[in-house]
Amino acid sequence: MSTSGSTFRIDGRAAMFAGSAVGVLLVLVYVGSGAGRWFDAALAGYLIGVLMGVFAVVYRYLVWIQRPPTARLNRRGWESFRRKGRVGHNAVGLVGLVGTNLLAQGFIRKRSTARWAAHQLVFWGCLLAAAVTFPLTLGWVHFESVGQQGSHYKAFFFGIGTGSFSATSLVGFTTFHLLNISAFMVIGGVLIFLFRRTRDPGALAVERSGDFLALAGLFGVSITGLFLTASTMWLEGRYYAFLTNVHALTVIMGLLYIPFGKLFHIFQRPANLGVHFYRAEGARGVQHECRECHKPYASAMQVADLKEVLPAVGFDYRDNAGGNWQDICPSCRRKMVTAAQVARVGGFG
Amino acid sequence: MGSPLIRGNMFVIDQSRCIGCEACVQACEECGTHRGESLIHLEFVDRGATPQTAPMVCMHCEDPTCAQVCPADAIKQNEDGVVQSSLKPRCIGCSNCVLACPFGVPKYFALPDQMMKCDMCYDRTSVGLKPMCASVCPSQALWFGTPEEFADTRRGELMFEFRFGNQLVPTKVATVVNDRSDGPVDPLAEPPSRWQDDPFGLEEAFS
Repeated sequence: MSTSGSTFRIDGRAAMFAGSAVGVLLVLVYVGSGAGRWFDAALAGYLIGVLMGVFAVVYRYLVWIQRPPTARLNRRGWESFRRKGRVGHNAVGLVGLVGTNLLAQGFIRKRSTARWAAHQLVFWGCLLAAAVTFPLTLGWVHFESVGQQGSHYKAFFFGIGTGSFSATSLVGFTTFHLLNISAFMVIGGVLIFLFRRTRDPGALAVERSGDFLALAGLFGVSITGLFLTASTMWLEGRYYAFLTNVHALTVIMGLLYIPFGKLFHIFQRPANLGVHFYRAEGARGVQHECRECHKPYASAMQVADLKEVLPAVGFDYRDNAGGNWQDICPSCRRKMVTAAQVARVGGFG
Repeated sequence: MGSPLIRGNMFVIDQSRCIGCEACVQACEECGTHRGESLIHLEFVDRGATPQTAPMVCMHCEDPTCAQVCPADAIKQNEDGVVQSSLKPRCIGCSNCVLACPFGVPKYFALPDQMMKCDMCYDRTSVGLKPMCASVCPSQALWFGTPEEFADTRRGELMFEFRFGNQLVPTKVATVVNDRSDGPVDPLAEPPSRWQDDPFGLEEAFS
């Protein structure tokens, strides 16, 4: 799929910011791991994957946000949020929107409950896995035995001691199996998605390889992670060295896939919150009237924004009389296209 | 390998033939890619002046304005030129596409907070079947077939270009005109008068 042809060039500024993000992360690794003392060398491959992933995601995000319509919406969203006299109201609203839209994802539930359940399982499973693996990989979290008690552990975050627990307690069992729990959640979600997709002719028709690739990647990361647990618990560690390499490979490939594929919506979707403020600001402001039917059909702010964005993406809808096709509402556009076509075949019947 | 759609069939909309029966509106809801939501537009042009109705499907522009103004890169065009509905994970519901489309095609749905648009019933056309609307249109205002079938059964010439002010918009979906050499369909152009100032040539004869 494509929208239009474009020439490839490296965005130096975006690359610089992405490089800076990697630099900041490396400093945090150095500080968080006690100058490398608590850094787990076995996880070095994952660290390289994370650093490359961070570079790619930041670069892709910055390139994306510079596109004329995205840049305009980004600016307008923040302007609307910071509007004088509404910051407090908007801040409260933002908390609510994060809860309902980004976390509970109610808008997906309105499409389909099964789809929502699948997405929630994958979403929370991935968040849980990230919350465990990223701090471990970056050396921010490590465990130490409590005194001479080999069965008791204490977790340290950035070198600061937190609570201790018994490895055989429920807390201990849950802590050491968090990744298994997250793997089951993700696999459950992936299977629901696959079940739906393979039985929906409409979804299959518009299917692109990226959709299945994302599901395959999530499944691959989860199942190879579970293989490690199976090897440890039931196979006396057999094949562990091989399995750990396979798992690391799937994770690193997954990290590198994020900016290029379907999973990039993780970073795009929060823009929806800006749209809420933009829309509310537009509704409070002047409404644009259609020049044909003289009825308001959109906020004057959004129509004005589009009139500036359109030339930037290669369109000129102005006419010789000083007007603009964008000043006509969608309904009148449809009627005028019909009238023009009818005139070309002899007039109204 | 291309889909059967690009191997020969094409979608034609001849608004002048529309009788406003709304069969297409009902059939559109049955499309597999957007079940339950009718995405075709159908309205009267000017009910007080004419019974003419205005049906509108996506014209599938070669360079889709909707996709270019989408801040979320949510609207994609297939290899065969069909412009798809917004990608569900990406669409952020800003309605830029709804307002910018020169044909007024995309629809915003508030509950799922998402734009949806006609995708030429891609589940059907990609395997050579007619779109739902064309399969039920009794007057063949909405028509799907090969150029040869069109030439054998229809009058008029196919037009794949529209003009909106300075903007020329080539489309994948065709409309019908009497004479293609008159240029693109232009809604802002002065319509040719149906009245003849001197129908019997009297002025010319006595001048």
